[in-house]
Amino acid sequence: MLGSYDFCGHYEWTFEWLCQQDGEPLVREYWDTAIARDSQKHASALISEKGIEGMKEYWGHTLDHEAAGYALSATDDVFRIDMHACPSKGFLIRNGLAQYHDYCDHCMGWIGPVMKDAGFVVDHEHNHCGQCWWEVRRAEDVTPPSAPGALSGENDVRLMPEWKTNQTDHYERSTNPDDKTTLP
Amino acid sequence: MTEDMNALPYTDTKPVGAADFYFAINATFHFILKKMGADGLRRYWTDLGTRYFATVTKQWQQGGLAGVADYWRAFFAAEPGAQVKVSHTDEVVTLEVKVCPAIKHLRENGREIIPCFCQHCYFINEAIAAPAGFTARVTGGNGACRQTFYKRDAQVPEQDIKHIKEVASC
Repeated sequence: MLGSYDFCGHYEWTFEWLCQQDGEPLVREYWDTAIARDSQKHASALISEKGIEGMKEYWGHTLDHEAAGYALSATDDVFRIDMHACPSKGFLIRNGLAQYHDYCDHCMGWIGPVMKDAGFVVDHEHNHCGQCWWEVRRAEDVTPPSAPGALSGENDVRLMPEWKTNQTDHYERSTNPDDKTTLP
Repeated sequence: MTEDMNALPYTDTKPVGAADFYFAINATFHFILKKMGADGLRRYWTDLGTRYFATVTKQWQQGGLAGVADYWRAFFAAEPGAQVKVSHTDEVVTLEVKVCPAIKHLRENGREIIPCFCQHCYFINEAIAAPAGFTARVTGGNGACRQTFYKRDAQVPEQDIKHIKEVASC
């Protein structure tokens, strides 16, 4: 049986398997079709119906279940996640599992389409070591991402010493997993 | 949880998996079935067994049928809502799956389960077992089944896929 306990392991392995079958477009289609619109349709429904309240409800539940180290911050206009210890990337790192070239892209791969459908855009950075941050605003809101500490205070992952790594991927007002710049 | 989690090749800080991951497993099967057909889905399951689970094959090679049983005890102890009795003799390991945690969770949440969902247990099990010197059989399904692991030279009939029930979603 394919289990939930090591899910992140075979999920990550599946990205590379799909890529080998028909290239990167199939992986993007998988995140969009299978994950955003099928597996995570409960998240999509919550966020489409309730907006930022739905995001608080969804991520409060799911990150607790995955035993993540994280902080959520929200106002009426922005929803922010500071991920201090990503449960799935952490699982892969601890177990030495790395088949696909950038596992972290999968989050924008499914969250991006969910947010696009619900009328939001995303500012996001991940450091490939289990830390990342997200700020989600309505698509018509052109407010830039917050300065470090301004929105989530001492919980802001950008203030933590382990945040700086060799390569950080950066997204601005995006909903597309390929719409990123890589910062040294 | 009292099982020896060292019997699992990959371990986590949380004792039990998050049940909502069964949504993604089912959705992945749906996606591959739609894109590549039944042959593609069976190839995915077999590749998972031979490649992703290669470390399990090694464990079974080294541990024999006792190792197979230890693996499954630890495996199901980490699956939320599983009710499974694992027994073994010198000749065979049997898993009596009274409540399949995946089918239970998918059904409780009104998810459309692919009819051939239960076949994945046969194709993955066999791909793990064969290079370790064992062979797997599955009977039943749709929420409860029996999975059996024999030594490869045992005189057992080939797996008949018709003996694996199709899944009804609700």
